[in-house]
Parts: sequence; structure tokens; C-alpha cells
Amino acid sequence: MTKTTGLNQYVKYGLILLLSISLILLTQGIKLLKYGGGAPIDGMAIMGLLTLWLFSMIGIMITDVIKKADIPVLRSFPILGWVSITSLVMCLIFDFFVTAIQAVDFLSITTPILTFAGISVADRLVDLRKTSWKVAIVAVFVFMGTYLASALLAQFGLMISGN
Amino acid sequence: MKRDFGFLIIFAVVIIFAAEWIGFQSITIGSITITLLPLVFAILLTMVLGMSVFRKGIMKKVYSKANIGFASQYLIFIMLPLMARYGADVAPRIKDILQVGWVFIIQDLGNLGTVLIGLPIAVLLGLRREAIGATLGIGREGELAYISEKYTLESKEGRGVLSLYIIGTLFGALFFSVFAPILLDLGFRPEALAMASGVGSSSMMTGASSTLVARLPEMEETILSYAAASQLLTSFLGTFTMIFLAVPLQKFMYKLLVRGDEA
Repeated sequence: MTKTTGLNQYVKYGLILLLSISLILLTQGIKLLKYGGGAPIDGMAIMGLLTLWLFSMIGIMITDVIKKADIPVLRSFPILGWVSITSLVMCLIFDFFVTAIQAVDFLSITTPILTFAGISVADRLVDLRKTSWKVAIVAVFVFMGTYLASALLAQFGLMISGN
Repeated sequence: MKRDFGFLIIFAVVIIFAAEWIGFQSITIGSITITLLPLVFAILLTMVLGMSVFRKGIMKKVYSKANIGFASQYLIFIMLPLMARYGADVAPRIKDILQVGWVFIIQDLGNLGTVLIGLPIAVLLGLRREAIGATLGIGREGELAYISEKYTLESKEGRGVLSLYIIGTLFGALFFSVFAPILLDLGFRPEALAMASGVGSSSMMTGASSTLVARLPEMEETILSYAAASQLLTSFLGTFTMIFLAVPLQKFMYKLLVRGDEA
């Protein structure tokens, strides 16, 4: 695949993000159609979607700048993290963004993502043959282990802090 | 390729329609309720329909090399609006979160649970060097990079971490969306489970926190903000926890377990 650079690359990211927020809008619409109630598609929801698009773009640009500046500690910080931080900072400064973004139904954001996640692994299902059943069992305990240990520590911590 | 891409978009729309129309389904086994969200049906449908038996006619165009390549290369960008949404969930609760900030930090040490619980099981099953790769963490990019640098991916350790990576990619979100509410039914506090959801993989975190939200809609804001804050913390501390705590702990336990095995 030819590597697109500079402005072209951002246009591409912008379009992919546009696809992403359009599918979120669609999902929220389907939910409305099915349940009648729920999060309405109004001006605020549209503003919310556009805000999500904007913060994602800013996060992408920050990641690029940091990669170019070659700051050792921050270089490995994922793009996903930068987008969350961008959004967090902007939302702390302007309450409007919180209202706008929360007008977008949360679960409507998740369905399109998992749709693409499923498609993306289509060719990797065959790789499962390379893994042994033993590692599969271990995987279950590894996932349970991290979640259970964190949950126990959190439960304990919250209890002590009296929350 | 351009025309195939159109098929991909239409297919995605159809799948979203189907998944949302199936909607929320719950299965109750005894006192435990397993909630299946539309996102679970979305990933199941796309994975099953992507199997080679179904790749005929139009489906062959949907699952073309270019389309699968697009999905895996740009999945992370499709996820970005979700990550931006998490920022808006954390912001209004930032005071509460900072107030119990130390709880967030100690629960992050729970990531060592992969070694503590996973390693003995792996050794018990007869795995040796593969176990090093398979239990160092949840097998995401961080562990993959560390293991491949230290042992290469062709080594047994490398095969262990790669296997875990594949299993996590395929089933991680599904697993956590089922496991999180089980712990809820066992009496864990939703706040604790929300914090624990920040395991270090965004899709797994989403799987865990989404089902919690579906079960407790009135706590949506708390659950999402705690999960997102914990996830951010794991992104910052994850590498350090792995190198300075998980690796030494794993070495120590491995020696102990394997020696006990030989005696």
C-alpha cells in the first residue's frame, strides 16, 4: 500500500472518522425506531457527533507531533489515549462539550466498532489452529485473573476510603 | 477495490441493523444473568459470516482482501470517537475520581493477576516457556513488544504471547462482556467492577463496561467515567507495571513452580 503523507493523510483520517460517526448516528436512529424513546437525534446529538470527530482529529495530530518530536516517555502512549485526554481537557474547560457529547447514546457508539472489529479478524480465525487448547485455557484464567484481582483491590480500597 | 468498499459499507449497515434489532438478550442461569448486547451480536455475526464457507458471491466481495485490510488497519480510527466520548464521561466526575485516586492506582496492580492466577494454571497444564509469554499480561501490544524484543516472536515465549494476542483479539471483548456482570451478581460493587474494566485493551474495557451500563443504566455516568479513568491510568502505568513488577514476579513464581514440579 502506498503511504499517503501530509494533508492527504488527514483527509483520509477525516473521512474514516466521518464514516464512524455516521454509523453511530445510524445506530442511534435504529434504537429510536425500535424502542421509540431513548436518546433523541436532535441538534445537540449532531453537535456531539461533530465534537467527537473534532477531538479525534486533534488527538491524531497530537500523536503525529509527539512522534516527530521523539519524546521518549510519551512516544509509546497510544493514539486512543491522546484522544481521551484531548476530550477530557476540552470538556473540563467547556461544559458545553460534555452536554453535546453525552447527547450521543453510549451503546450506539459501540455496535459499529465491534462490527468492524469482527470484519478485521476474519482472516485471523485460521490462526486459532496455531494456538493450542492449553493456551486457550490459560487465556481464560489470565483474563479472569487481571479482572478479578483489580476488582478485589478496588472493592477493598473503596471500603477503606469509606466510599 | 472502490466497488468492493461499497459492499463493505452496505454490509456494515445491514449488520448494525440486525444486531440492534436482536437487541438486548439475557440468559439467566441460577442467580447469574448473562446480558448479551447488540455489540456482541455485531462481532459474532461478522466473525461467523467471515468464515471461508460463507465467502461466496457477494460475501466474497464484502470480505475481500482490501476490505479486511481496511477494517484491521483503520479499526483504531473507527474507535476514536468512542475514546473521545470517554473524556466527556470523566470530566464531570474528575473530583470524585481524584478523591479516590489511590484506589485507582492500587487496583491497577490487579493487572498482576495474569501472573498470579494464569502462571500456576499454565504450569499445571504442562506449559513451560510458552507460559512466560502467555501470562505476562493480557497479551496486548505492550507485552508483544517486550517479549519479541527479549525472546523474539519465533521463540516458545513468543508463541505464547502471540497465541494470547490472537485469542484476546478474537474473544476478549466477548469474554469481558460476559464475565463482568457475573461478578456483579456475585456481589461486587459496580464502582469496583468499573475500575477493574480498565484492563489495558480498549475493546475489552468496552465489553466489560458496556454490559455493566446495560445492567445498571442509572449508573451509566459513574461506570463509564471510572472505567475510562482506569483505562487511561493503565495506558500510562502499564509498561512500568509490566517491567518492574510483572516480570520479576513472574520469574520468581516460575522458578518456584517449575522446581516444585520436578521434585
